[in-house]
Amino acid sequence: MLALEGVSFAYARGAEELFGGLSHVFTPGVVTAVTGPSGRGKSTLLYVLGLMLTPSQGRVLLGGEAVSAAPDAVRARVRAHRIGFVFQDAALDPTRTVLDSVIEPALYAGWRLGDARARGSGLLEQMGVSARAGHRPGEISGGQAQRVAVCRALVTDPVVVLADEPTGNLDRDNAAGVLAALSAAAGGADQAAESADKGAGSGPDRGTSEGRTVVIATHDPFVLDHADEVLAL
Amino acid sequence: MRWVLVVREAAATAWASKVPSALVGLLVAVMCAATIATVGRTAAAEQQLTDRLDEAGSRVLAVADARGEGLLPATVVDQASTLSTVERGVGTLIPVDVVNGVIGQGGTRVPAWGVHGDLTAVADLQAGRWPGQGEAIVTDTAMTQLGMADPFGWVALASTSEVDDWSVVGTFTPRDPFGDYAAGVLYVAPADQPVDTLQVVLTDASAAQVTQASVLALVDPPTPDAVTITSPVSLADLQAQVTGDLAAFGATLLLGVLGGGALLVAIVVLADVLVRRKDLGRRRALGATRATIITLVIGRTLAPAILGAALGVAAGLALAARLGQDNIPPADFTTGTATLALIAATTAAIPPALYAATRDPVRILRTP
Repeated sequence: MLALEGVSFAYARGAEELFGGLSHVFTPGVVTAVTGPSGRGKSTLLYVLGLMLTPSQGRVLLGGEAVSAAPDAVRARVRAHRIGFVFQDAALDPTRTVLDSVIEPALYAGWRLGDARARGSGLLEQMGVSARAGHRPGEISGGQAQRVAVCRALVTDPVVVLADEPTGNLDRDNAAGVLAALSAAAGGADQAAESADKGAGSGPDRGTSEGRTVVIATHDPFVLDHADEVLAL
Repeated sequence: MRWVLVVREAAATAWASKVPSALVGLLVAVMCAATIATVGRTAAAEQQLTDRLDEAGSRVLAVADARGEGLLPATVVDQASTLSTVERGVGTLIPVDVVNGVIGQGGTRVPAWGVHGDLTAVADLQAGRWPGQGEAIVTDTAMTQLGMADPFGWVALASTSEVDDWSVVGTFTPRDPFGDYAAGVLYVAPADQPVDTLQVVLTDASAAQVTQASVLALVDPPTPDAVTITSPVSLADLQAQVTGDLAAFGATLLLGVLGGGALLVAIVVLADVLVRRKDLGRRRALGATRATIITLVIGRTLAPAILGAALGVAAGLALAARLGQDNIPPADFTTGTATLALIAATTAAIPPALYAATRDPVRILRTP
């Protein structure tokens, strides 16, 4: 379970504090939309939850453990094993194939290449982009790129998926597809990966029976309509 | 991250970043080629100089009994020959002229040396056998001059006042550095007769000083001018000086080439890190540790550097060969150059790698 406990954050000493001691428990299996006016720190909260920024006050708990205060190497390992990221612009490696981009977090998590490839291929199949597995990101559409980014976020079967404006650059149809994928990811039965898991021999099996925590930073009303819970900043 | 996958990832990113990889490879190749073509020439010259100065002729220490006072008895020759810094040694008498005993005083005169000690130290036997007391061996040249068809017969002193002769039992060729004996005859000196000159070949020219002192201690001359010394001490000093100068010159040149090359590699890698900061930020966000980032940056520098070193060594050797076979540096120098170039490139990649690993991934990812 992911939780914030009295969290505040400032980019520099003496700068304006964000969140004002925010406490919140993110329920597994629930899609939470973080929203608010521009400058309130929607993306910043996501990076705090993703252990890339350290709160100036309070702490981030993951599975009851205060992970926000851990050393950098530990936080990196937590990101690789337990947290998936979806960035606004997909942020795929333009020089590598789609499949190589998808399996990247699994490599950092210490998976074997064959297992990672099997898992990544299964996810691409599930998301309907398996035909593009050998293409470069520049050869696929924005909607496809964002679905590939969702595959990358799910490849290590994380307990938390964080998405920063994942539909910001997409039309309605593609946005609906990505939201459906994220909702499915929160669904608990690891629907997105179910078929892929049959082919992936080893790799951490975290048992997502109670679902994943999915947090989406957004100001898009379409996303807010589809979220299970909204956290307004 | 598994090591094999780190290597694969480093190679893949090096291949993907073709321009910086090509530049790193080119710089390392130039470092190697320039080092081999310049410093390598110095190393080759140093090696040749050392070889020449280490030839047997440059390692001879000769002590002559200046006034014929019997300062060099056979025991001194034997003791001097067994010194640990002496490769071989003999005592010789002042040469005398001999003629073919059959022809008599009207025959052609050739020089003959009386030798005390192991004759194998000065000669290689070609035919017949080694001589004993009252016997001699001759060179082919001397045999022709003496008018001998085969190394059999006898030679006699070409003197009207003294009478002495030696049976010829074989032929020889002189060993380096005793080439003077090629013109004549060697006979076994009487064991009870002090020799006129003691000649020892040192194991190493650098041992000249210590050997000279040891030999003089054995000879124990009553006055300094009782013996005449021909020593390679000054030659050894010169050798040490010249090789030292060449080595210092080579080292300075090497440091210049490698240092300059490493600086340029560092600039290329830093530029690559800055250009690919989003890539590195994404990797950090997705779970790459700082150590992984450092390893990847160094690895993707090392991959083209290895290729560049191989090409550079080949080009450097080809260039050196074109300038003359004598300019080809020793193999250990070539291997050392490639290794040093790779170490320099790797070291140069460390500061940019540290910079990349310590950047804030959020700041990078949020930079438009």
